[in-house]
Amino acid sequence: MKKNLLTAVGILGTSLLVGCSGGNQASETEITFWHSMGGKGGEAINQLVEEFNDSQDDIRVVSEFQGEYDDAINKLKSSALSHSGPDIMQVYEIGTKWMMDSGYAIPMQELIDEDGYDISHLEENIVDYYTVNGDLYSMPFNTSTPILYYNKTAFEEAGLDPEEAPNDFNQILEYSNKLATNGRYGFSMQIYGWFFEQFLLKQGLDYANEGNGRTGHATEVLFDENGGALNIIDGWKNLVDSEGIISFGRDGDAVKDAFASGKVAMTIASTASLAEIKSKIDGSFELGTAYFPTVTSQDNGGVSIGGASLWVMDNGDDEKAKAAFEFIKFMVSPESQAKWAQATGYFSVTKDAYEIPSMVEHLNNNPEFQTAIDQLREANNQSGALLGVLTEARATIEENIEKVLNNELTSEKAVETIAKTINTALDKYNKANR
Amino acid sequence: MEQRAMYSSGIMPMEKDKVKKRRRLRLGKLEPIFYLIPAFSVFIVFVFYPFIKTILLSLSQTNLRGEIQEFVGLDNFIELFQSPEFYHSIIVTFQFVLFVSIPSVGISLMLALLANNKLKGNRVYELMFSLPMAIASAPAAAIWAMIFHPTNGVLNLILGKEIGWLTDPNYALFSISIVTGWLNLGINFIFLTTGLRNIPSELLESSAIDGANFWHKLKHIIIPMISPQMFLVIFMNLVNSFQAFGQIKLLTQGGPGDSTNVLVHSIYREAFFNGRFETACTQALVLFVIMLIVTLLQFKFEKKGVHYQ
Repeated sequence: MKKNLLTAVGILGTSLLVGCSGGNQASETEITFWHSMGGKGGEAINQLVEEFNDSQDDIRVVSEFQGEYDDAINKLKSSALSHSGPDIMQVYEIGTKWMMDSGYAIPMQELIDEDGYDISHLEENIVDYYTVNGDLYSMPFNTSTPILYYNKTAFEEAGLDPEEAPNDFNQILEYSNKLATNGRYGFSMQIYGWFFEQFLLKQGLDYANEGNGRTGHATEVLFDENGGALNIIDGWKNLVDSEGIISFGRDGDAVKDAFASGKVAMTIASTASLAEIKSKIDGSFELGTAYFPTVTSQDNGGVSIGGASLWVMDNGDDEKAKAAFEFIKFMVSPESQAKWAQATGYFSVTKDAYEIPSMVEHLNNNPEFQTAIDQLREANNQSGALLGVLTEARATIEENIEKVLNNELTSEKAVETIAKTINTALDKYNKANR
Repeated sequence: MEQRAMYSSGIMPMEKDKVKKRRRLRLGKLEPIFYLIPAFSVFIVFVFYPFIKTILLSLSQTNLRGEIQEFVGLDNFIELFQSPEFYHSIIVTFQFVLFVSIPSVGISLMLALLANNKLKGNRVYELMFSLPMAIASAPAAAIWAMIFHPTNGVLNLILGKEIGWLTDPNYALFSISIVTGWLNLGINFIFLTTGLRNIPSELLESSAIDGANFWHKLKHIIIPMISPQMFLVIFMNLVNSFQAFGQIKLLTQGGPGDSTNVLVHSIYREAFFNGRFETACTQALVLFVIMLIVTLLQFKFEKKGVHYQ
């Protein structure tokens, strides 16, 4: 008995130790792909992966959903210690600088040059975001921009032209006062750091020094000195203080639900939400989309993109890196992107996808989406700032805007606090990672 | 099996005893250690190692991969104790714990007393009152998010108002406390009901003959008799509310502003969002000390206030 117990303990112990090893003796190269797409996006990704696996015999891709973008990055950090991470990883746009600095990934440009792949079919404004000092660091995959959604039926009721959407904060205020009735608000906007960044770009102002963090490591923010932040927060506060406009805080779903149920006549949301919002409206009113608004009528900047890109991880295995690149080429091919865009509402990252018949038909049925494509191709678009601490920066901005909207803080004090917090974070980040 | 093998190989009983003795000597002192290994390895991996690592991290600076870069002594603690956000977070945590624990224990005691009446259909109520126990914090948050919705939510519909339950800093902490208190209700109810059922009926009957009304009974018989369960329930509620996280992350993300940024949420934000493990670990140690003090106080109270039969 005793002996048996000892053996059992021994076996348990050794199995724990060796449990992690294991081999793959098949001739095909196995690639692990971590993504953060739940729901419809996840289904679409799995379908694309399956198609890729069926199309050839040399590479087998295993896709794994790893939770939201933040969670996936945390898993990446812990997996790096045990070398159990993925070969390809989907990372959100604000994680770009962090990924570059971490040294976890192989710059995409190296693989492109090695392969001789031609990227001229990709949308320039999307590629620009992920390009730093002339090198593309990751392959854009799912891309979106924010747009204005509005209720055309409500516009008609209020005697407004349903084809004329408001362009700036003042117009939004004016329209909202006309649209607001008993039980309906004119406008609502999620407190979202992404929108703040976009309003800054629309003013044509820089977020941080060192060329928005693109020519070097940004050391301090500029939106406090250049007045951009104050314009945005003052304008935002002015909107929310009006009778016809309501704030739902940081909860994006609450805003979308209110818009889709007709309780709010205009809102701002990502293009990626188009399919979801349409299905929630379910024909109860006519939907219109327009360009992302500016803060003042004089602003002439454009928007930047959001979404995520694919990174090839540096696992010291050339074979795998090559296989990973093959898969990435498949993922950004016109056919894949056409399917992806139709299933989710994200842009196609390649221009060629718009020539595929199913995509043409899709756009005919969903003319709202054309707004987003036009906005993306505007010449005045800039690429947003790249900071290693952008997640924290966004949260800080959201927290302080919320305090201003709730009368806990003046806008001047908020800008000061935001700048101070982000500068401290940048300082720490730069010190720890040099 | 061993024994049979020995007999069949013809070893005499005397010799067998010797063999046993020798084996016992060899294993004697080591034996208990083997029994401890499984439990101990679990403790080492999941409790002791993380605890020591937390202390180490709180004394160092980490890079973006979360690796220790250099030893900085008590710098992290000094910085933390100079930050107004941290004190705000502690105040919010204590407010939250009180908002959750007191009503939650009070209401579940009330429900347990109601359900303890021997009326028809009581079982149904018992089931209803204990159901929140079966709901995890994430689906509960999803349900309450709908209830709290400013324009589409049922709560504002009933009240005929447009209160931003989760977006108004005056209400948010209160709303989160309701959700947490409700989540705790089921398990509280079960423990208190068990306590009530164990009160000998002679006690209540004889007090009734002596002319005691409900309040007399509650104060002098029921509460003292269920004090062990009460103690357990209060203790559990305090610990649960110090550690509440899921519903806060899902409903307010610490907002509006930082009005619901309790310590656990702040730790999460620092570690997994801002990528500063050292700050998170420093805060975690402070939380550990707070919980240690609360626990010690509670056990002191137990000696005085709890009556075991």
